[in-house]
Parts: sequence; C-alpha cells; structure tokens
Amino acid sequence: MIQDHFLTLLLFSVLVALFFATLNHRDRRGFWISAGKTLGWMVLGSLALAYLMFWTGR
Amino acid sequence: MTESFPRWKAYGVSLLTLLVPGLSHWFIGRRARAGAFFALVSGTFLTGVLLHGGLFPFSSTNWLFRLGSVAEMGMGAPYVLGRALGWGRLDLLDTADIMFGYGNTFLVTAGLMNMLLIMDAFDIAVGRKE
Repeated sequence: MIQDHFLTLLLFSVLVALFFATLNHRDRRGFWISAGKTLGWMVLGSLALAYLMFWTGR
Repeated sequence: MTESFPRWKAYGVSLLTLLVPGLSHWFIGRRARAGAFFALVSGTFLTGVLLHGGLFPFSSTNWLFRLGSVAEMGMGAPYVLGRALGWGRLDLLDTADIMFGYGNTFLVTAGLMNMLLIMDAFDIAVGRKE
C-alpha cells in the first residue's frame, strides 16, 4: 500500500510540476529547472509531512 | 508578441477552455502549449476518475463536497459529461477508501488548473502576457 501512496504522490507531483512549468516558461532550460524545483519540493515536502504525521500520531 | 484581441473577444476565446482544456491556447496560436495543457489537465482529470474520486454535485449537503464541486466545475464540459455518465457518483463510491481522497485531490486540482488556463489565455489574448 505504501508503494501505491508513493506512486500516487509522484504522479500528482509530476503532473502539477509540468503544468506550472508549461504555464510560466517558454525557454527549454527555464522549463526544466522550474519543473525540477517544483517536483523536488512537492515530493520532499509531502514525504516530510507524511513522516511527521506518522511519528507524532503514535 | 501576438496581436491582441478586443476585450469582448478575449473573454469568449478564453472561455473555450471550458469545452476542451487548452482549446483557448490553440485558438490564440499557442499550439504546442495547447497540446501540453490538454494532455496534463485531461490526464489529471482522468486519473482522478480512475482513482475513484467523486464528482461532487453543488447540491451536496456536505459543505466541503460543495466547495470541491466549485473547483471541479472549473473543468467545464468534462465535469458535466462525467456527471451525466455517472462517473464519481458518491452513492456508488466507498468514501472510506484511501484512494477516494487521492482521486478527489486529482479532480479538484484538474478543475483549478483549468481555471488558471482560462486566466492565462485571457492575459495572452489581451496582450498582457506573451
């Protein structure tokens, strides 16, 4: 189940990151930098929050 | 920079996204972006449906579902079509299923993304954005 959670999180983050990169950047370099930053922050932020809830919820 | 549209025409063109995600950008001449937006927003919407998310009716008594329905209505025609086809019917879904929550997130996000596309297309159409 945790794999399903992670894959869903990853898929959601990829879609949102690509959407905002397409919306805000016209040059290829800016596009990939923006997508990478958004994706990284979304995945790491979500995992940090999930583990925080997991550890404090016991 | 593209030639800007008169304001009344810009409203009309930007609302085309409510029929098909990205259609406004296609009409403005941003063909590549239109294709990308169509794939991303439709993909998010379909993933939400496949994950058993709910397409909430505005008449829902739960205020959170009602708020979700406002966001989902941002999809326009796909929301109406999905409701007509019986997708995401709350009486057929297991709302305790963890995937229900994920599906809702995808559906609400798709609606909000589409609203942003309408605003983006309007800005391009009136010449505020390249």
